[in-house]
Amino acid sequence: MNFDRILPIMNDRDTAGFFEACKNKTLVYRACQSCNATLNPPRAHCGNCGSWDTAWREASGRGRLYSWTTVCHQVHPAYGVPYTVVIVELEDAPEVRLVGQLNGSPDLCAGMEMQVWFETLEDGTVLPQWEPVEKIQQGKES
Amino acid sequence: MPARQTDDFGHQDRCAIVGIGSTEFSRNSERSVLTLATEASAAALADAGLSPKDVDGIVRCDHDHVTHNDLVCSLGIANLTYQGQVGPGGVGPCAMVGQAVAAILSGQATTVLLYRSLNGRSEVRFGSGTASARDAAVTVGGQGTYDEFFLPFGLMTAGQTFSIMAQRHMIEYGTTCEQLGSIAIACREQANANPAAQMHSKPLDMQTYLASRMISTPLRLYDYCLETDGACAVVVTSTDRASDTRKSPVLIRAVAQGCPPDMRGGMMFPIVMRDSITDLPAYSVASTLYARAGLGPDEIDVAQLYDCFSISILLQLEAYGFCEKGEGGPFAESGAIHRGGALPINTGGGHLSEGYIHGMNHVVEGVRQMRGDSSGQVPHAETCLVTGGPLPTGSAVILRKS
Ligand SMILES: [Zn+2]
Repeated sequence: MNFDRILPIMNDRDTAGFFEACKNKTLVYRACQSCNATLNPPRAHCGNCGSWDTAWREASGRGRLYSWTTVCHQVHPAYGVPYTVVIVELEDAPEVRLVGQLNGSPDLCAGMEMQVWFETLEDGTVLPQWEPVEKIQQGKES
Repeated sequence: MPARQTDDFGHQDRCAIVGIGSTEFSRNSERSVLTLATEASAAALADAGLSPKDVDGIVRCDHDHVTHNDLVCSLGIANLTYQGQVGPGGVGPCAMVGQAVAAILSGQATTVLLYRSLNGRSEVRFGSGTASARDAAVTVGGQGTYDEFFLPFGLMTAGQTFSIMAQRHMIEYGTTCEQLGSIAIACREQANANPAAQMHSKPLDMQTYLASRMISTPLRLYDYCLETDGACAVVVTSTDRASDTRKSPVLIRAVAQGCPPDMRGGMMFPIVMRDSITDLPAYSVASTLYARAGLGPDEIDVAQLYDCFSISILLQLEAYGFCEKGEGGPFAESGAIHRGGALPINTGGGHLSEGYIHGMNHVVEGVRQMRGDSSGQVPHAETCLVTGGPLPTGSAVILRKS
């Protein structure tokens, strides 16, 4: 039996720009044009300086692994275990972290370099996913 | 952390908890959450020597399915002058005590009932993910939930979120699974002495802990709290009025709530985007609480620390100043938090082993300690720290023997 993956809402006024950019294989984050504070998760107002002059900025697509968990107990029919949730900080703005999903339980280490790739789902939704730039050779099989 | 001698709104010891009540804790209560809330509330009022007619204030938790209206009707409360609500979720109970104090000291109520009721095993299981994940909704997020950044990537439960925090603590400080295990065992030992605890008859040793199945690395089955059907309630009044209640009142020394320095919105998942996920809002709660109490961590005799997971306790041991940042693991492993240790914690068994009443059973157990009738009674204990959920904000109270 096939179950549908969980999809992000595409028309939220604060966050749609992030997923729209993904359709063009572009990774973006929100930032303040006045004080350069990053605004993640995305929002229209800068709480740091009070400016409304905020915009999307393009990220390089490189990052570093901050933390992770390998999920062994399944809670959703479309998300078979094991899989690993990774938390990645952007190379361009390390205070901006994004979430990705890896299959299985790969060997990981904090600070390892990660690269974004874009996963296109059946309905056309595009999710930014992350994978290690270099796989760790030794250790258990993934 | 040195305690400043300030009580900025003059509340020290001016209100007291005069009644506590609980249902049994089970996997299937076979009755409604309203019935459970009514039973626990009636028991708390009887414990105080009061009746529903004496209650003029109710503060509820925003996650409770029982409304003010339901409980007023069910209990037969006739003259309610104050209705409050606090949250989110597990942050509720200690913040509810704070709001009761505020209502009483401002003259809006004299006798305030607090309750938390849930069929957490037989009806709504938190462990199965957020409502949107459970319902296999096609589309999630929006409206400031930010769920769209997490659920599609498979991050969908509190346990997974705390696992990411635990992993990061291991990265930064070398914390070990055995140290987390010592926390689970400390709670279990307390439950083994508490006949009302769900894990009363089930001992836990390190070998069993390490052999238990992994739920989400690095957290195992016994790092996770229980899922419980049950309810707890407490009655708060002014210390002046408390002189004619049935049992000796337990003084509310100080109350506090707090936020993280970099709030990231949403409810739970956006915390993984915070500057440091090993720094809890409890740091700011502790600073405010100790200053208001005129007490420091060295003057706390026993603590009831909110334990949705073992790692929650470890992080709070650091945040509430019982050890240095990063030292929570060795501190837990030293035996300090166990029965007979320097700072016994969760003396009824906590969420890990007594039952999961979303922080309210911690308040009830704190009162038992200050009355001197806990199954894990700490000799000569005069102060008890009780904490609320560690995310996304925080709350805590210090109780004192009268
Ligand atoms: Zn700004």
